[in-house]
Amino acid sequence: MITAVSSRQRAALRLLRRRLVQAVPLMLGVVVINFVLIHMAPGSFLELMTAENQVSDPATVELLRKTYGLEDPTWLQLVKYVWALLHLDFGFSYRQNMPVIQAIAINLPATLLLMVSSIALAFAVGVAAGVVASMKVRTGWDTLVSVAAMFFFAAPSFWLGIMMIVLFAVKLGWMPVGGMSTIGGLGGSGSGLFAGILDVLHHLILPTLALGLFYAAIYARVMRSSMLEVAQLDFVRTARAKGLSRRQVTIGHVLRNALLPVVTILGVQMGTVLAGSVVIESVFSWPGVGSLLFDSVSSRNYPVVLGIMVLGSLVVIAANIAVDLVYMWLDPRIEIR
Amino acid sequence: MANVTRRIFGAGVLVTGLAAGTRASWAQGEPRRGGTLVATWGGGEPQACYVPSGGGSSPTFSSSKLFERLGNRQMNGDFVGELAESWKPADDFKSYTIKLRPGVKFHDGKPMTADDVVYSIDEIWKKYAAASAMTDYAGIEAPDAATVVMKFGKPIPEFFFASLLCGNVNYIVPKHVYAGSDPITNAANNAPIATGPWKFKEWVRGSHFEYVRNEDYWRKGFPYMDRLIIRYVRDPAGRAAAMESGEIQIGVFNPVAPPDIKRLTGTGKFVATPKGYEEAVWSTSLECNMRNPIFAKREVRQAMFHAVDRNLIAKTVYYGYARPGTSPIFSPNKEFFTLDTYKTGFDPKKAASLLDGAGYPKKGNAPRFSVNLLAAGWFAENGKIGAIVKQGLEDVGVAVNLTVPDRPTSIKRIYTDYDFDLAISNQANPSEPVPSTTQYYTTDGIKKGVPFRNASGFSKPEMDALVEKIKVETDPAKRKALVVEFQKMATVEAPNLPLVELESITVASTRVQNHSNDPNYLGASWYDIWLAA
Repeated sequence: MITAVSSRQRAALRLLRRRLVQAVPLMLGVVVINFVLIHMAPGSFLELMTAENQVSDPATVELLRKTYGLEDPTWLQLVKYVWALLHLDFGFSYRQNMPVIQAIAINLPATLLLMVSSIALAFAVGVAAGVVASMKVRTGWDTLVSVAAMFFFAAPSFWLGIMMIVLFAVKLGWMPVGGMSTIGGLGGSGSGLFAGILDVLHHLILPTLALGLFYAAIYARVMRSSMLEVAQLDFVRTARAKGLSRRQVTIGHVLRNALLPVVTILGVQMGTVLAGSVVIESVFSWPGVGSLLFDSVSSRNYPVVLGIMVLGSLVVIAANIAVDLVYMWLDPRIEIR
Repeated sequence: MANVTRRIFGAGVLVTGLAAGTRASWAQGEPRRGGTLVATWGGGEPQACYVPSGGGSSPTFSSSKLFERLGNRQMNGDFVGELAESWKPADDFKSYTIKLRPGVKFHDGKPMTADDVVYSIDEIWKKYAAASAMTDYAGIEAPDAATVVMKFGKPIPEFFFASLLCGNVNYIVPKHVYAGSDPITNAANNAPIATGPWKFKEWVRGSHFEYVRNEDYWRKGFPYMDRLIIRYVRDPAGRAAAMESGEIQIGVFNPVAPPDIKRLTGTGKFVATPKGYEEAVWSTSLECNMRNPIFAKREVRQAMFHAVDRNLIAKTVYYGYARPGTSPIFSPNKEFFTLDTYKTGFDPKKAASLLDGAGYPKKGNAPRFSVNLLAAGWFAENGKIGAIVKQGLEDVGVAVNLTVPDRPTSIKRIYTDYDFDLAISNQANPSEPVPSTTQYYTTDGIKKGVPFRNASGFSKPEMDALVEKIKVETDPAKRKALVVEFQKMATVEAPNLPLVELESITVASTRVQNHSNDPNYLGASWYDIWLAA
């Protein structure tokens, strides 16, 4: 037994090493592609900055060009950027007047909170709905799950968000309209850490639902079909023949194996959840990196855009490594190469 | 028809709102002290709380509650002292003596003195905030701690000078905070120390600014309220919901979509008013690139006026919250506006005739010529206007290639690369026409890479000479006559066509008192606002 565990741990470590090595060229690709794409877009942050500051003196423009390293050819700027990144220097944001990493750090926790809560909701609701639908196949429950999944899959998340605001915030007054917390304690909900956490959770409910229900719909559909497929396999028939109860078979054997496709999608969708949060953050005035990214693209604030892309890629890569490890835990037969 | 429609629409929105607004703004009882006001505006979060060069409406909105100017313009048109008690020109109008208000303190407790004023004018106004308006500035002296004397190389009209003192971001900044630093990157721009009624407390990026009452404010007893929150909600529908749910009490500069204005005022809990924008009228204009030989011909430029149905733009794109423009000086400008300009009504036949006369006759189904029309994408409405302009021009036989680039691309293509034939852009001008309005028509307004200047390339010695006269004419009546002449010449030459003047709207809860009482309300300090129970 000890040998078996050690073998799995060694396999997991091998996988981790391999994935980290693979992540290096992947990150390099992300940086190069994003750097080139954003430099191909017309207009530059220097032009916008001189425009906003009404700078027309050519000497001042040239000084600013040198200050921001824009006098170099693009390839040299790229090399310098990569070199700086290797030293964990993400550059300086002229717009926020602070280092890029600091600007992102201000907004990143809000986005991570929204992402994690949305994924958790999507996973919990999607898996539960899929299991119920598969166990009550061709019944009213199955139809209800299918219709709900179709609705939340088809409804644009920004529309869903606005409708939720109208219903739950404006009409019923149960939820705040937006933001991450009650500004300056205007809600009178008390003070202290616990009250603060409750306040944030209160603000988190609607954006989480608006972002998470789309993914819950996907997971429910995938889970349902996966459960039905696994239920037909030989080992499930064997388990039943051995006299296990339906519940034991479903939870102990079918569910665990049926989760694999959902876990696969979950890993792949980390990037799209991050992208989706840009829209949801806008609808709910959620102060995350989505808003920062939107503003930075609009202002051609290259360092911040690249910084968010790099950190976003790191999050997606980390999530996918985690998914691979979860695979191995769910199904010990799997050896990922 | 368009006007009737606009009035009908207004009946449901503005008349109700204005009636209620009158009660709210002028018929209130004893001001209630304390409480928190949450405000928003129809745009996004600023790049910094204070941008020394202005940086657009967003930082003006956030900084104007903290900083103050030497003077301020009232709703009745009078100029009054704010941080200055008075100002007086010399006999030759080449210098002005400014008496400063005593007892004014910055938020850190240090007194405001002539040194701060000298520093602000020399290092901030001259270099950033008012550079184009101070070309004749010759220096400043401080004979004592409460007096400064501004000198100029030429005579400066009193109206021009007063307008300079009241300029949008012509603030008095603390020398002890800014001296020796680069004002553009000074960290205090994100946590300003100033003299205004509100003190900076916190900026939660992506969410809001929190300001608190300045207990040492020089206007004793003001402000009434304890806190002012400026909250940023990117989506207009989100702003409407936040107002309806009571989370936000006032929104300036078109905070919600026109249909929501009607809905909110219909509840009886909100008022909507166009007051408070008289000194910051926005317009949408069509700029002709005269580097293109086709638009170098005056008849072609005039034809553009007549080919576009500007009533349709006002009615459909702006839901009636706009009116056709007739002059580069906008109609709310009581000092200088005139109707005695080139008549620019919608007349496709006249447009066709002018194009024929310019040497571009229509031959069968072939277009007279093709143009690249750029609609600057910083306002969503510009793209819709582009579609109407395209339709109008195609109806008179001009082929149009319409593009709607985003903000940075638009700025680069219009003002740096001059990569357009026609461009739909926007201007916001105060009453004083020099230089904010005139720089679109003068040769010295052609500054490659500097936006919201003369991008058309229009250059005419007679226009330059006329603007020079306007700059130095100190007799108000004679100056007005010169500005009228400027408007005539500008509309006849038509390098820059005023399509529509926009009507900006403030929406406020009926509980909000003393609002919309400044001709530049977005940029006012809101020292006297209060919230009824």
